[in-house]
Amino acid sequence: MSCNETAHIVAARFDDSLSPRQRRLLDEHVAACAECRDALADTQASAAQLRQWQEVPVPQWQRVPEGLREKQRASRPRFSFWTQWLPLATACMLALAVVLNVQVQIGGNGVQMAFGGSTQAQDISAQLAQFEQEQRTAQQQAMQQLAVQLEERQTTANLRLMETMVEQFGESTTRSMEQVLAYFEAQRQEDLQLLESSYQRLADSDFQTIRSVQQLANYVQYQGGQLQ
Amino acid sequence: MSLTDQDEALISAALEGSARAWERLVRRYEGRVYNFALRMTGNETEALDLMQEVFLGVYRNLQRFRGDSQFTTWLFRIAHNKAVDMNRRKYLLTPLASLGGAEQTEDEVLEQLHDETQEQNPLTLLDTEQRNAGVMKLLNRLSWDQRLVVELKVFQSCTFEEIAEMQDISANTAKTRFYTAMKLLKTQMEQTHVV
Repeated sequence: MSCNETAHIVAARFDDSLSPRQRRLLDEHVAACAECRDALADTQASAAQLRQWQEVPVPQWQRVPEGLREKQRASRPRFSFWTQWLPLATACMLALAVVLNVQVQIGGNGVQMAFGGSTQAQDISAQLAQFEQEQRTAQQQAMQQLAVQLEERQTTANLRLMETMVEQFGESTTRSMEQVLAYFEAQRQEDLQLLESSYQRLADSDFQTIRSVQQLANYVQYQGGQLQ
Repeated sequence: MSLTDQDEALISAALEGSARAWERLVRRYEGRVYNFALRMTGNETEALDLMQEVFLGVYRNLQRFRGDSQFTTWLFRIAHNKAVDMNRRKYLLTPLASLGGAEQTEDEVLEQLHDETQEQNPLTLLDTEQRNAGVMKLLNRLSWDQRLVVELKVFQSCTFEEIAEMQDISANTAKTRFYTAMKLLKTQMEQTHVV
């Protein structure tokens, strides 16, 4: 006797989703139907034979598809973008800061930023000029004081030097003066003698002159008398 | 976290572009898919091609997975479709014809499966090769549709409703096809004195 339910009975036996009631009805049918019982035995034997299959390890292969790898690569530039452009952006910012004369000051009031020539810079320049002027004045005063002190020291030194010189050369100077006076006296005596002799010669010369004049007068008188 | 939750987390991360999440998801199921492909094609090269096609299809359609069914069900629906496509391109039938013929000896089947298991322990390798060769000889006796039904029911534990949906047939047809295939296998086993 052929059972029309065998295929369904066999299929139901391989179905894990049967309810307890369905499973009980199945068991009752299989117990009563030899064909289904034999068919179940055969299919279970076949299934057992198939389950002898041993899992074969998967060979090495490219698991990540190219599309996903490209997507992954495309997502990386987020990092490399910054590493690529960050130094350039920093350099531009610094250049801009230099051009705009940006001044950053960190103090008790926090961070202060100023652009262009700030009043603070002007204040600093004025303070520097004042400081320079004060320094210059102070240097001049110091130089004057030094000059005065130096002059005093030099005067004192000169006096001391003169005193020392006078002390050292006083005696020799006295002697030299005496020698000079003696020399002068000798020269004066010698000049007096020379002067006396000159006067004498002049007197002698004058006497001769007078005699010549008298002779000339005599001659003139003689000549006059003859003419008359 | 359940397996389904882990799958969904990995899928979400993969959709956001995480290659690592995708790779973890693939590694979780590649063994099942590869052995499915190996049983359906009968050789490593085509099995590898089929597995790559399956996961490429999964990746391309990942946004369409809404979690209405289990990820494995969705995965093997794609695997089933890719296997059918491959069969239609005549890449699948040729090795099946050579494997399925009565002329092919068990040594030839063993040689064909040798590449897949050559890195294992020699004793394990021999046992694995013999067992798998026996299974392949049985499967080669089935038609393509019968083979798919048996594969999806015995190895992938799909319901008949899911199988029917994949193959665009009724559940009753799927059940009958399964029963016919199993009966044929039993007959083949008796002829080759397996049992």
